[in-house]
Amino acid sequence: MVIKPDTYLLTAALNRVIPPVGDLPGAGGMDLAEEVIKRSAADFRFQDALTRVLGALPSPNDFLALDDDGQDDALRTAESSHADAFGLWLDVVYTVYYMHPEVHQRLGWHGRSPQPEGNVMPPWDGSVLGVIRKRDPFWRKA
Amino acid sequence: MTTTEHNPDRTADVLIVGAGASGAAVAASLSEAGFDVVCIEQGHWQDSFKYPTADPDFEFKAMSSWSINPNKRRLPEDYPVNVEDSAVEPVMFNGVGGSTIMWVAHTPRLHPSDFRVKSQDGVADDWPISYEDLEPWYDLNDHVMGCSGISGDPANPPRSERPMPPIPIGRDGEMIAGAFDRLGWHWWPSDAYINSTRYGQGRDACNFCGHNMMGCYQRAKASTDLTYWPRAIDQGAELVTGARVREITTDSAGRATGVNYLDAEGNDRHRTARSVVMAANGIGTPRLLLLSDSKNHPAGLSNSSGLVGKNLMFHMFGGTSGVFPEHVEPWVGPVANIILSQEFYETDPDRGFLRGYTFQMSRGQGPGSIARGVAGHRVPWGENHHAVLERRFRNTLGLGPIGDDLPEEHNSVTLDERLTDSSGLPAPKITYRVSDNSRALLDHAITQGTKVLKEAGATEILVNPQSRETGWHLLGTARMGDDPERSVVDKNGQSHDIDNLFIVDGSVFVTGGAVNPTPTIQAIALRTADYITNNRGDLKA
Ligand SMILES: Cc1cc2nc3c(=O)[nH]c(=O)nc-3n(C[C@H](O)[C@H](O)[C@H](O)COP(=O)(O)OP(=O)(O)OC[C@H]3O[C@@H](n4cnc5c(N)ncnc54)[C@H](O)[C@@H]3O)c2cc1C
Ligand code: SF4
Repeated sequence: MVIKPDTYLLTAALNRVIPPVGDLPGAGGMDLAEEVIKRSAADFRFQDALTRVLGALPSPNDFLALDDDGQDDALRTAESSHADAFGLWLDVVYTVYYMHPEVHQRLGWHGRSPQPEGNVMPPWDGSVLGVIRKRDPFWRKA
Repeated sequence: MTTTEHNPDRTADVLIVGAGASGAAVAASLSEAGFDVVCIEQGHWQDSFKYPTADPDFEFKAMSSWSINPNKRRLPEDYPVNVEDSAVEPVMFNGVGGSTIMWVAHTPRLHPSDFRVKSQDGVADDWPISYEDLEPWYDLNDHVMGCSGISGDPANPPRSERPMPPIPIGRDGEMIAGAFDRLGWHWWPSDAYINSTRYGQGRDACNFCGHNMMGCYQRAKASTDLTYWPRAIDQGAELVTGARVREITTDSAGRATGVNYLDAEGNDRHRTARSVVMAANGIGTPRLLLLSDSKNHPAGLSNSSGLVGKNLMFHMFGGTSGVFPEHVEPWVGPVANIILSQEFYETDPDRGFLRGYTFQMSRGQGPGSIARGVAGHRVPWGENHHAVLERRFRNTLGLGPIGDDLPEEHNSVTLDERLTDSSGLPAPKITYRVSDNSRALLDHAITQGTKVLKEAGATEILVNPQSRETGWHLLGTARMGDDPERSVVDKNGQSHDIDNLFIVDGSVFVTGGAVNPTPTIQAIALRTADYITNNRGDLKA
């Protein structure tokens, strides 16, 4: 169970992991901590990774008292001591961040799910085979 | 679609375990030939219109409830797999359609030389059948599943007219194809069991949505719930879903009499049958044969050779991705049904390894999956994050080798002593290591793949020496052969030990070849079904 102080800690950590860019604040400033907590709670692997990463960071007050470089150092220490959990936690954070419509807008990506609209299938152009069609069969007979 | 058991007390002619690629093909063929067929499947029917590719959080589902890895998905119908001692993790889907619900549907064929590895290269074993023996069933399967493609490939024997024109290779495909042309190397548009036009009942053309591995909303990708199963059910085949077979039962003479299974409510049930066909895939089948041990069969069923579960082959997969200066919009179009190259397919001893590989081109998906990692390279966190993501996101294409993975007895499926599935049955344990031959093959592929991508204009190359979550192809664990001491089934898929037990999935492969295996698995299944039809009238009531 993640308790409130962890939300502060997570928010601060998210701002260092995915910092501000263009008009967008960092991932923490976009209020994604709650979504990361909610998504993690649905799968024990993600929950376990979140708990381990937060547990490997200084206490919320100590982390918040650090400057940017200090927070990055603390994150790097957690990353090297809990490599697998940190990696899985990053996967959750990245996926949550890149589901956000404002992020899609900044990337210039349509942001739609693949279906039902899909994309347009281009026409088949047989001329692409011009060179390879000239090659003699070369499969090995058995 | 739901199915209920009709007259469960009757003795069916044929009882099939598993409703995936091979089980469905056998069910359709034998029910069309007038056999009374029942199939028991631990998973359920899928509704195409509920596939998660239409959900805004599809990228999240791809790593949780719709992961290709059963150890991550962990649905009740999945069984866990102990992979602690394996360099590769098996991936699969358990349900009507089996792994064809999640597959990419890239559908090349084995080469004639793949059936003669011992004669030609002095390693492994020859198959007891040849490419020519299988060809009619390859053709039949191409028509039932629906194959898009074009004949004339110089790397393969001539092939019948494909039922549909090829899937267009797109501008990105042309970039890579052009590089192969300039290097003087082979390439060809991929054969794909994906509709390039409307084909089959209620199946639309592909709309290039770009995400094959979470079910196809368009029903353009052939999965056997859409192709073989409707035919089988029309012919009277019975498909029992949500039911897990825990044992094949035998009589005092050692012949198969049916199966014990747990139904959807967890009740222990028995079904009798004149014959049993195993189609539970290269892991599920040896697992069940080993689970079916008894006084008469102390090492498991059909295991007098001791080879059940041995010689597990995956296809070695690793490879290269190229980051291009221009946008290639890699989320448009099927993920890996674009082009292949078989320049390095056949053995050349000068390369330092035996056998060879196919290059398969691949695209990417949404920004979340790019951030999580192309070729195993996660985008770094911190100040560099945005710059790296933006460089890769719309600009990355992959070239992965599918390498021949020669059989070795120590690579195996056994029963785990502690881990169990949701029914309390022992889970399979995989023991698998990458051989020196496979390592040399992958290294060669990485060097050559880098050349191609650079020739195509890539300015950055991301290398993955060997991917872990790539056990798509589950092969070799109950292989076929003429010699009962060196194989589990004969050339018709019939057990050497038990004349009314058949195996039709990838377990029967003698060697793996260097292509995606499912057209071969289904051709073998159809051939076995025809053998039963033509030679085993004794199994019909
Ligand atoms: C992500 C992914 C991509 C792939 N891409 C390709 C590709 O591009 N080309 C290609 O050729 N192949 C591809 N494959 C592989 C292909 O899907 C398999 O080769 C094929 O489905 C194997 O067929 P099968 O009949 O042996 O087993 P499956 O299709 O796996 O079916 C086995 C069925 O048996 C059931 N079963 C198992 N045990 C029991 C039991 N005890 N009781 C009841 N039911 C049981 C399972 O639930 C399952 O439904 C891919 C696979 C995956 C997962
Ligand atoms: S790319 Fe085509 S075949 Fe693949 S899931 Fe989308 S519509 Fe189906």
